[in-house]
Amino acid sequence: MAEQFRKPVVDQIYTLNLGPQHPSTHGVLRMLLDLDGEYIVKADPTIGYGHRGHEKMGENRTYKQFMPNTSRMDYLSGMLYNHGFALAVEKLAGIEVPARARYIRVICAELNRISSHLLWFGTYVMDLGGFTPFLYAFDDRERILDLLDRVSGSRLTYSYCRFGGVARDVDSGFVEGTRSFLQRLRSRFPDYHSLVTENVIFIYRTRGVGVVPAELARQYGVTGPNLRACGIAYDVRKVEPYEVYDRFEFEVPVGVNGDALDRYNVRLAEMEQSCRIIEQALDQLPPGPYLNEKAPFRVRPPKGEVYQAFESARGLTAYYLVSDGSACPYRCHIRVPSFGNLHVLEEVLKGTLVADAISILGSIDVVVPEIDR
Amino acid sequence: MGTETGFELIRVVIGLVLVLAFSQLNALFLVWLERKVAGHIQLRLGPMEVGPHGLLQTIVDGIKLVGKELIVPLAADKKLFVIAPILVFMPALIGFLVLPFGPDLIIRDMNVGVLLVFSFSTFTVLAILAGGWASNNKYALLGAVRSVAQNVAYEIPLLLAAMSVVMMVNSLRFSEIVEAQNRIWFIFVQPVAGLIYLICATAETNRAPFDIPEAESELVAGFHTEYSGMRFGLFFIAEYTNMFVVSAVATSLFFGGWHGPFGFGLGIPGIVWFLIKTYILIFVVMWVRWTFPRVRFDQLMNFSWKFMIPLSLANLVVTAMVLKLL
Amino acid sequence: MARLNEVLEKLRQILPADTLSFRDPSRTGTSCCARVGLDRVREVASIFARGGFFLESLTGLDFQDSKELVYHFNTYEPGARVAVRVLCPHGEAAPTLSDLFRSASWQEREVWEFFGIPFAGHPDLRPLLLPEDADFHPLTKTFGVVNAYRKREEIYG
Repeated sequence: MAEQFRKPVVDQIYTLNLGPQHPSTHGVLRMLLDLDGEYIVKADPTIGYGHRGHEKMGENRTYKQFMPNTSRMDYLSGMLYNHGFALAVEKLAGIEVPARARYIRVICAELNRISSHLLWFGTYVMDLGGFTPFLYAFDDRERILDLLDRVSGSRLTYSYCRFGGVARDVDSGFVEGTRSFLQRLRSRFPDYHSLVTENVIFIYRTRGVGVVPAELARQYGVTGPNLRACGIAYDVRKVEPYEVYDRFEFEVPVGVNGDALDRYNVRLAEMEQSCRIIEQALDQLPPGPYLNEKAPFRVRPPKGEVYQAFESARGLTAYYLVSDGSACPYRCHIRVPSFGNLHVLEEVLKGTLVADAISILGSIDVVVPEIDR
Repeated sequence: MGTETGFELIRVVIGLVLVLAFSQLNALFLVWLERKVAGHIQLRLGPMEVGPHGLLQTIVDGIKLVGKELIVPLAADKKLFVIAPILVFMPALIGFLVLPFGPDLIIRDMNVGVLLVFSFSTFTVLAILAGGWASNNKYALLGAVRSVAQNVAYEIPLLLAAMSVVMMVNSLRFSEIVEAQNRIWFIFVQPVAGLIYLICATAETNRAPFDIPEAESELVAGFHTEYSGMRFGLFFIAEYTNMFVVSAVATSLFFGGWHGPFGFGLGIPGIVWFLIKTYILIFVVMWVRWTFPRVRFDQLMNFSWKFMIPLSLANLVVTAMVLKLL
Repeated sequence: MARLNEVLEKLRQILPADTLSFRDPSRTGTSCCARVGLDRVREVASIFARGGFFLESLTGLDFQDSKELVYHFNTYEPGARVAVRVLCPHGEAAPTLSDLFRSASWQEREVWEFFGIPFAGHPDLRPLLLPEDADFHPLTKTFGVVNAYRKREEIYG
């Protein structure tokens, strides 16, 4: 008799298409969900809608010509990707970078990281239905974009780094502007916390949702804030310090459970740590040249390869460059963090409610064009 | 006797005309107010171009909507599809008949006024279901079904909260309920019931954070997916009219209706007090919409069945006990 | 360093010494590079899988004489990245690692669609980024605009 009541009402599984055009702004991602009632039985992310052939382009452009491509892969971490590419080529070609340029690059990279996290924060809460923090976050982000615009000439896809330094020096206006921005951002964090972090509806939508166990994260190569939310304090800036990151004091925030709330908390804490890094960098900013004058105009690295890893806003990103001695790379491969971050959803989404899928997808912070390259 | 019924008839007709006119103007105003409130909360200005501070924006948008093609999906149930937006309007207009705008400004002061408003508000659910079903669209139906579940669940604590007030006054007549608040508003006597009422009212009108059935909800576009042009406009206007009715009922039940604070009228006519209070409540509902994220559907249902209903029942029992003892 | 040393110990035991080269991770990104044949890939990969490593990156290289697969394994310790290079002659298939590292199922799909190296035993070998019906392999040096097509020894000696 009891068996009758335990039989599922819906026997058939139907496929729902979370189409390439999303109301939630994650890029062009298509998820085929097999649903049993409200529960997801199978999730199949389909990507490639934004494949532009960057790696093929990398083989046909000189190193300097490829620099603009790097910003456009993950357009929210454009400066970070520029920075990583410049580091990779400098390592390959043995180009020295003056100290001032190093500090400038770190400051701009951390500002970029904050702006990426602010955008993620706004869009994540908007996905959950709270429309207002999006505009507050964008207000703060505008100031970062203005600062970076001042120094590089663009707001989103910078090509600011050069092999041997940066394209332009920063002036006192930039330094003052950054300091006042940091002050303002720090005063906004309590607002964000009281509006979102302590909001009971938000907590119910994120606590225990989309738990990624640490072992699963390792299997899928998850890195970045998603991995740190699982409790593993792996940050490339600490583990393989590049540029001048070893001269700064900052912490690596870590979560406990690996659920969406932990990922959220880790990213907010990271913004605060980035503020600390920028402050210390501004204090330590040395005078001097901003570009190595002796760097060759047309870079022809000696034959060999380099694997340069750095921490982008989404996780561990790496450039794998193979040089054949000519002006163009022989192979230019970019290891992107969103690849693993999205892939893990295949397993994490199984057994969750459809309504939670949006929350989980948003909390992972995927930028699909960097997967597609 | 003939002139009395004659006057009555004229009075009713004038009242109906006024109601129709007022509800339209009210909807126009509320759409503008929503956009302005949203704008200012989001650190921007909202509509500013059309008319002073964008006041004429809604009219212009309405004209635009009227000019759009009315599409009926091929496989849709045509009669239901056309009826649904009209049906969703009807309960709100009926609710206007018994609202106590002022001491002598009730169109029909029925002795079952409260009952009338609440029983007819259930029709909105029927209209939403009709719209979702008639659209012949998987997602519209899903949105409509969720809306029905939500409405039914939140109707119960709403009624129980209203019952607490009715028990205190011993009458379902709106004018008597308002009269009983000439010294102290019932919100101070029944704060729990008032809070429950406001939360349930937000859920009944499908406003955020309970707006899953209608919002740009995660994957489902809501029960009015297939509606275009003025039919969609009607759903939209009906929502704001509903909001007004529900806030007006809250004002009458809990906030003293046409009375000033503590009975001090300050020479301001009752209707002005009534409208001020109603619009303040509407403003609060809008404020909540732009502040909070959305509740997940199962959490929403849990909240109603496992928390709101027991709480409102307990409130009713306590009210009864206190009334018995006094 | 513990995990890395454990794994390197095991590698030293099963691989001939001249296939392992150690270098400075701060200059090249990897602390060790192992050259492995197609037949021993799974053995080496399982050492990494049991040692707590993750498959950070998998890519291919196209040379005139052969293709090459480059695996980068890493773990959450400093300087722990190890590269494993596998020569894969044109037209031959490589063994799949998707049962050892779940990320490999997508990474191998990507290598297959861009380089045309099939992976034997892969559960679902279809294009990842390219359209489902794509029958070309863009990153090979015989497709599209190509700047240089070299032999492996020209670069790696």
